[in-house]
Amino acid sequence: MEEETTKKAEMVKLISAEGFEFVIDKQAAMVSQTIRNMLTSPGGFSETQQGQVTFPEISTHILEKICQYFYWSLQFASGKETEFHIEPEITLDLMMAANYLHC
Amino acid sequence: MAMDGGRLVRMCIESASADAGSVERWRRQRRTLERLPAHLADALLRSLRHRRLLFPSLLEVFQHCVEVVELNGESSVDAEWMVYLGAFRHLRCLNLADCRGVNNSALWAVTGMNCLKEFDLSRCSRITDDGINHLLSIPNLEKLFISETGLTTDGAMLICSFKNLTMLDMGGLPVTDKALFSLQVLTRLEYLDLWGSKISDDGATILKMFPRLSFLNLAWTNVTKVPYIPSIASLNMSNCVIHSISPRDASKHAPLSKLLVHGATFADVGEVFSKLEGSYMTFLDISHSSIHSFCFLDNLKELQHLDLSATTITDDLVGHVAHIGGNLRLLNLNNTKITSLGLPVLAGSVNNLQTLLLSHTSIDDTALSYISMLPSLLVLDLSYTNVKGFIDWNREGLDKIHSLSLLQNLIHLESLNLEDTLLRDDAIQPLSLLRELKYLYLKSDFLSDISLHAVSSLPKLEFLGFRGGVLTDYGLFVFIPKSMLSTLDVRGCWLLTNDALSSFCKMHPRLEVRHEQIQMLNADQSLSHNAATSSASPLKFRQKREKMLHSPGRYPNVIYADERIKYSREELFELQLSPLADPSLCHPDKLPQILRRD
Repeated sequence: MEEETTKKAEMVKLISAEGFEFVIDKQAAMVSQTIRNMLTSPGGFSETQQGQVTFPEISTHILEKICQYFYWSLQFASGKETEFHIEPEITLDLMMAANYLHC
Repeated sequence: MAMDGGRLVRMCIESASADAGSVERWRRQRRTLERLPAHLADALLRSLRHRRLLFPSLLEVFQHCVEVVELNGESSVDAEWMVYLGAFRHLRCLNLADCRGVNNSALWAVTGMNCLKEFDLSRCSRITDDGINHLLSIPNLEKLFISETGLTTDGAMLICSFKNLTMLDMGGLPVTDKALFSLQVLTRLEYLDLWGSKISDDGATILKMFPRLSFLNLAWTNVTKVPYIPSIASLNMSNCVIHSISPRDASKHAPLSKLLVHGATFADVGEVFSKLEGSYMTFLDISHSSIHSFCFLDNLKELQHLDLSATTITDDLVGHVAHIGGNLRLLNLNNTKITSLGLPVLAGSVNNLQTLLLSHTSIDDTALSYISMLPSLLVLDLSYTNVKGFIDWNREGLDKIHSLSLLQNLIHLESLNLEDTLLRDDAIQPLSLLRELKYLYLKSDFLSDISLHAVSSLPKLEFLGFRGGVLTDYGLFVFIPKSMLSTLDVRGCWLLTNDALSSFCKMHPRLEVRHEQIQMLNADQSLSHNAATSSASPLKFRQKREKMLHSPGRYPNVIYADERIKYSREELFELQLSPLADPSLCHPDKLPQILRRD
């Protein structure tokens, strides 16, 4: 039981503009400086307690790509150098989301 | 700045500007482009330019988001580009320096751009007075760079309309005293560049009318007397004849902190400096100047940067530098008569020195023991000196010590230049003790594989220059670069073959290798792949030789580091019998006496 709660605490929920929910490792989400600040700030953001963040400006397919990037970034940091492909069609939207998320 | 942005932002910009196909797949997303934050749009535009993917009609998609456009040096920029740029409603900064295609009529497109604050037209030689007339409708311009354009004196006088100017670069323009007089309404000016203008001492008196002027460049002018300018902080009087600078004001002195008098002639250097408030000056470049007394240095106790290169400073006079050495960060003594005897005077007084340049002096290894007493040294240039790596304590040379090992006392040393010294392989080993070294420059006819391997273990090395050495293919093959190394410069290592270099490059794709062969290799590849390979058939070779015989003028244009690697063994044998083998037929005049056949 105790094990389960700590495991739950390590996951966070990211919600897209359309309401889609992405449940990912907290460690992965912390690749984003913005999310890191939201989840760790002592001010008691509602995000900190509930472990979920809503992004009304980021559409589902972009948020999905962002989540993929988080995991790719962790792998890259641990020495696994693979390519992260970005389709030219989504570069502009992804760029703006990445800019907002500081990642 | 997007460069400071996260990795994903950078990856997106790279992906968006990967090739023309990628651009086509996002350029119609107009809504998104309109919402793009300016710093991202600027970065994307910059990336497209570097990838050479930018063309006039593509500019249109950026007209709502871009604030900064840098097209300096692009010769293709012309009136068509300017029409699109004229529609950039938020454009704040436009850099068109060295854009040769920009002419007066092209400037018409940017009339009335209210947001434009900064405009660089430096060296656009087709811009004349008419072009400036188009700019007069840009009221908010704060920074204008028009050096070396086609402006006349009349055009220079039009500049007084830009009342908000804080920076004005009119270098190389025929600005006369009268034109400068008209500019005195520009009371916000902080930066004024007038190098090479026609200003005389009469005109220079107007300069005191600019209350905020802090940077002034009067290099290559006839000004000999600089008046008191209230806010002046940086003054360039290079290549001028100098009689006086800011005569002493009864109440206050000019807070001049930076003075450049490169190549200047002084009527009386002591007199000029006695009138300057020495305690403010932190930067002095007096290189290539004709001065014989260095007593003036004694008052400049706050100096941090002192350039005395190519002056008449000697070991006897270096005491003046030592006297004010406490704050010095950089000391340039290149091309002076300083010898090792001058170093003991300096050591002990210039304790905060970070950069010491002694290139082209006759210092030798005994100087190193004094240099090693400068604990803060980051950059040391000993190129073209008599340093050989050993100190002989007795004449028989039995008691030699490695002088370079003294440098290990310099625990912060990051850059060391030992090009064209007398170093041999047996002297290099101690360099491996300089663990903080990031940049190492070696160049010598005598250094071989041994030396390269001696320095290969340096953990922080980013740039390694190993030029002109006797480096073999095998020596390169067994060289294992540390992970920090980004550039290996082996230019002039004539023994290296094409094959060895290209396989080394393949083995270390992240490393930039510089060599004549690689430059030629790249040139060959860009000229499509039809160039003859090294395994040329005899038929091909014959054609090549005939071509060479018929067009001797083209032949000397190709430069090979070593003639022996230009041909295969078989080709060399054939060449022996050809008329080309007789060097006296090529350039009989340039041949040394010993090779001439009488």
